[in-house]
Order: sequence, then C-alpha cells, then structure tokens
Amino acid sequence: MNIPVWFGPAIVVLVTWGIAGLLQKLATNHLSAETALVGLVVGFFLLDPWLYPKESILVYSSRSLVFALLSSLLNALGAWALLAAMKHGGKASIVVPFTALYPLVTVSLAPVVLHESITRLQGAGVVCALIAVVLLST
Amino acid sequence: MQVPVVLKTKWFWYSVLSVLCMGGWTLLGKLGTTEISARTMQFLYPFGWVPVALACLWMRRFRLERSLRGTLYSVAIGVLGGIGGLAFFAACRTGGNTSAIAAATGMYPLITVVLAVLILREKLTWLHVVGLVFAAAAFVLFSF
Repeated sequence: MNIPVWFGPAIVVLVTWGIAGLLQKLATNHLSAETALVGLVVGFFLLDPWLYPKESILVYSSRSLVFALLSSLLNALGAWALLAAMKHGGKASIVVPFTALYPLVTVSLAPVVLHESITRLQGAGVVCALIAVVLLST
Repeated sequence: MQVPVVLKTKWFWYSVLSVLCMGGWTLLGKLGTTEISARTMQFLYPFGWVPVALACLWMRRFRLERSLRGTLYSVAIGVLGGIGGLAFFAACRTGGNTSAIAAATGMYPLITVVLAVLILREKLTWLHVVGLVFAAAAFVLFSF
C-alpha cells in the first residue's frame, strides 16, 4: 500500500479538530456562539507569531490572497453556524459529525471548480466516509 | 405530507449552513494554496475571521459573557483549529486530491465521538460502531 504524502498532515487535522469538536460543546455550555467565536479568533491569533511568514505576502498574486481571505471568511461563517447549532440544542455527537458532511460539497464541486478527478477506490472511500458520518449522526 | 421534526429545528439549519460554508472553504483553500505556502495561509487565516468576529461582537452589542472556563475552551479551540488548519493546508500543498483530503480530514468527528464516550460518558449505539468501521474502511481506500 502506497501511503500518500498528505496522510501525515491529515492525521494531525483529525486529532486537533477531533479534540476541538469536544471543546466546542464544552465552550457553548458556558458561552453564546458569538462569544465563543471571538475567543476562537483570539486563539488563532495566538499562533500567528510562530507563523509569521519569512517572505512578504506581497510576493503573492492578489488572486491567491483573495482566495485565502475568502476561504477563511467562509470557514469563520461555518464555525459560527456550527457553534450556533450547538447553542440551539444540537448535541456535540450529532452536530459535529453532521457538519463534517462538507466533503459532499467539495466532491460535488471539485471537478467543476478545480478540474480534479478522483479514482474509483477514492470515490468508494468518499462514499464510506459519508456513510460513516451519517451513521455516527444517528 | 408531514414535515420531519428535525427540519423545524434551528440547529439543523445552522448545521446545513455550516456544511455549505465549510465546503466552500475547502475549495477556496485549495485555490489559495496553489501559490501560497501552508504557513502563510494559516498566518493570514485569522484576518479573514475578523469581520465575522466583529459581526458577532455587534450581535452581542459588544457585551460578551464572562466565563473563565468557557473562554479557555474557546481559545483552545482556536489554537487547535489553527494547528489543524496549518496541517490541512500542508496536505493541500502536497498536490493530493482535494476531494480525498477533504473527506479524510472530515472524519475528525471519529475522535470527537471517542472523546465524548470517554470524557462525557456518552454511549455508542451499534449504528455508531458500524459507522466507525465504515470510517476506517474509508481511510484505507483514500490511500490508493
């Protein structure tokens, strides 16, 4: 089995966001979705001193910078909606798996937007992942 | 025809909104990382969150609840989210298929479910266990 290069970073994502999923419910037990999101942004900025780029961001095209900022804006809206779902009675064990269905949007639009194709086995993997998410939401 | 109860709940529609936004995030993130490094992408990330944070402050009339525990949890989400975001962009930068990366990393609820069982003492049904098996199968299939 040939393990792709992206598997290592993907495991880091799984662990960090998996723990964050639990903390989202714990945070909204004490705070509104809006206040929790403000705290979340503070947490993001805490990392920035370590991430300060070596090169000027002006070396990048404005197109890429717009994509980066729009991407984070959508991510923020998605996070706020997730926190609001929890604040409005959604259980962590349901809302977190439910909102993780976002690859459906990615898979549906990636061939059109990014001109990417997926192999049959990867397609089967996507189906398995989606079934898993639905079953975990029950 | 009777409308399912879940469709009348606010949490369901907030979740749908989250799914749509997160889907757009993965696609635009991939477009951004074609040129920008993972590290710089994550550095820029909080700046995109600022307008939403300001809107949240405005919605709260600039009065935030005071809860040390809640604040610590939310800041920790940001730190963990940032580390995960950095790893996500690094995965995108490898040239891997975005659909496979998004689907693989989208399985983080597995960890949440396990932690919910261990820490919050939530119980797993047999459907949850089947779901875990499907998730494990998916992870193997993504490697092909």
